[in-house]
Amino acid sequence: MWSIIKKEVKTYFLSPIGYVFIGIFLIAFSISFYLELMYTGGRVQFNYIFTYLPTILSFAILVPLLTMRTFSEERKNGTEQLLLTSPISITKIVIAKFISALIITLIAIACTSMFLIIIRCFGSLDITAALVTIFGFILLAMSYISIGILASSITENQIIAALITIITFVATWVLPEFLQAGASFSLINMFSKFTTGQINIAYTVTYLAFTVLCLILTITVMQRRKSAK
Amino acid sequence: MIEIKNVTKKYGNFTAVDNISFDVKDGEIVGLLGPNGAGKSTTMNMITGFIEMTDGEIIVNGYDISKKPTKAKKQIGYMPEGVPSYQELTAKEFIKYMAELKLVDRKVRKEQIEEVIKKTGLEEVQNKLIKNLSRGYKQRVSMAGALVGSSDVLILDEPTVGLDPKQILEIRTLIKELGKKHTVILSSHILSEVSQICDRVVIINNGKIVAIDTPENLEEKTKNKNILYVTVEDKKEKMLSIKDKVKYIQELELVKDNEDGTKQYKIVSEENVDLRKKMFEILPKEDITIFELKKAEASLEDAFMKLIEEKSENIEDNIEKEGGEE
Repeated sequence: MWSIIKKEVKTYFLSPIGYVFIGIFLIAFSISFYLELMYTGGRVQFNYIFTYLPTILSFAILVPLLTMRTFSEERKNGTEQLLLTSPISITKIVIAKFISALIITLIAIACTSMFLIIIRCFGSLDITAALVTIFGFILLAMSYISIGILASSITENQIIAALITIITFVATWVLPEFLQAGASFSLINMFSKFTTGQINIAYTVTYLAFTVLCLILTITVMQRRKSAK
Repeated sequence: MIEIKNVTKKYGNFTAVDNISFDVKDGEIVGLLGPNGAGKSTTMNMITGFIEMTDGEIIVNGYDISKKPTKAKKQIGYMPEGVPSYQELTAKEFIKYMAELKLVDRKVRKEQIEEVIKKTGLEEVQNKLIKNLSRGYKQRVSMAGALVGSSDVLILDEPTVGLDPKQILEIRTLIKELGKKHTVILSSHILSEVSQICDRVVIINNGKIVAIDTPENLEEKTKNKNILYVTVEDKKEKMLSIKDKVKYIQELELVKDNEDGTKQYKIVSEENVDLRKKMFEILPKEDITIFELKKAEASLEDAFMKLIEEKSENIEDNIEKEGGEE
């Protein structure tokens, strides 16, 4: 399993995707930082930078870039045959792909810690709120990546995989605006609770359950495809 | 080593592989031969566990591919059709990744990778990106990926497609060499290749096994007629009358009228009769000069075409019969 993770992470950086992901996310995060700076008149709170549109929007577009290739590309190039005939189980392959995409996201999130240092030096930092927000954002990332991987296992067209992922994410984002019941399905709404600095156990479990569900579905899709191929 | 028992693969109503069974013994090189869409790749994909069979059983080195996939897959080195590989990796990185995927022990990994690179002649290009390699080298990289892990069984899907004649020869020599230590199943369109490399041939058509035998026996089976080709200069146009003069001739027909005035004839005689000596005696007497005389060898190609046609005819007959019954 580690060999797949190693290779996947390496591939992200052999192609521009890894750099594009981290680069654009940091630019968007910096813009959000600037907006927060303007809005609060200098009293920046790290946790709120995550809630600004540039951060969320760039995240919504960048994660599918990361996940769209996971299975679609392998299938299109035929390398899926090498992977699925190796003595590594489908479950391990899916988990490895998930962890690889998560690692890139974690690197990007880790890079935002430079703003923590800036705020610590020039303002007042609520470290608990900041850490809880990062924790929540990682949970959000895990759910979103698992949607992306599921989409990628369904189609060999990377663009379609990316579109399915974005549409799903945006749908859970705007659904609460139109539908009262949709509020409980909104990945973003759940995240905003973490920015207050309190860990919400119910939402943590929901995020994790959602991630596991998507990964189980991916494994099922891959196994079903084996007999339908 | 490999047992394939009553294996069937269906896609909805379409049966791609229909109840096939055959064994491959230790150290044997077996060729799967058949026209496009016959079910060769599907069969190979089922042996490697890439696709699931609808019915039947495949046992690789004692492990059932459906029940113990991890152990069974460990026995197999697979080179898929179209030699897929990770274009963004170098040849060496790819082989290393394949070794890791096959769970090769870390202690012997490096040594094994070096050995495989040497065996496939990739020393010079090992640090080049696969996307920059020529087709021939890509093929070798893929072959190296199948070899690493020293699996007992090698499954090679169309290993020589797209190579130039020199590369084909090299790959064939390599496969023959590999056959000494491994059990090999390969598929091919190229009949001469199969007859040169393989110990046994499995001919598949429309998902069914048409014949399983050694290349020699298959050739022998189709040698039911004696055919001679003779090229002559026959100014008096007496050649066709020869048929009445030699009693063993069943057929005599003009094949080709050459520009230089010579003509090629095909002579079919009864079985177990060699007319060559008779021809050399009788033709000069008739004022016919022999330029060339050769006996037609039944090739594997003939065997293949014959078997495929026979089966197709049978199927057509059956369809007609079934249609008639309705």
